[in-house]
Amino acid sequence: MNFVIALFLGVFFGFALNKVGLTKYHKIVNQFRFTDMTVLKFMMTALVVAMIGLYGLRGLGLITFPAVPNTYIVGNLVGGLLFGVGMALTGY
Amino acid sequence: MKWIIKQISKEEWSPYAAGILLGIVGILAVFLSDSLLGASGAFENLAGMLGKAIAPKAFDNLYFNFVMPPGITWGVVLLIGVFFGGLIGAATSGTLKWGKKDAANSDAQWKRIFGPQVWKRWVLGFVGAIILEYSAGIAGGCTSGLAISGGMLLVPAAFLFIAGMFVSGIITALIVYRNRY
Repeated sequence: MNFVIALFLGVFFGFALNKVGLTKYHKIVNQFRFTDMTVLKFMMTALVVAMIGLYGLRGLGLITFPAVPNTYIVGNLVGGLLFGVGMALTGY
Repeated sequence: MKWIIKQISKEEWSPYAAGILLGIVGILAVFLSDSLLGASGAFENLAGMLGKAIAPKAFDNLYFNFVMPPGITWGVVLLIGVFFGGLIGAATSGTLKWGKKDAANSDAQWKRIFGPQVWKRWVLGFVGAIILEYSAGIAGGCTSGLAISGGMLLVPAAFLFIAGMFVSGIITALIVYRNRY
């Protein structure tokens, strides 16, 4: 059952990514050149919507948060610094 | 109804509309199955499975035993869904280039910067993907698994990661594009 949900949500996830154009190289790399702000608009909208929804649902006592990604400052920063290189090269 | 069909067959949505869709998907993932949307972890699960089958000694370490246990996880199934979702997205907007001539290298901007050769795209894609996957392993997630899923739970790691990603992304783009930046 859990896997059916995963497949279903995955389809919508992929659909949203495709429709906003994040499957295209130029969308990603132009974000880093600041000639196209699609990535940030998309990401921040998703963040705000999900934040409101999740914290609202938690406030109502309907959900508990799953195990959150760990924070270890050096790892996150170094990982992010390397990640940007790959992202700007491949347009992932 | 007509309006819905028209919206679905549109090639490019407003990023705000698609962002709302992704936000709802993110909420549902937590609400329905207590999971976070992640993409890079699934590859590590699969790699762990493959590695354990081929060289069990080399893969018998802390990382593959406890951090990223191999197997068909929720994330792997999600990734299969993402593949088909992207396919449906491209098919509905009529941009699906499956099997067509320059399907592997169809991005006009990429061609202008690096050249029209398909093999270049494959090589750069492969090298870049190794960098992506390795650094996602270090940071504990990728754009979707850490930056978006962590960000929506207000995890500090997500914002550190986004900061790092933009710093090096801008520098890399600057180097690649030089005076065309």
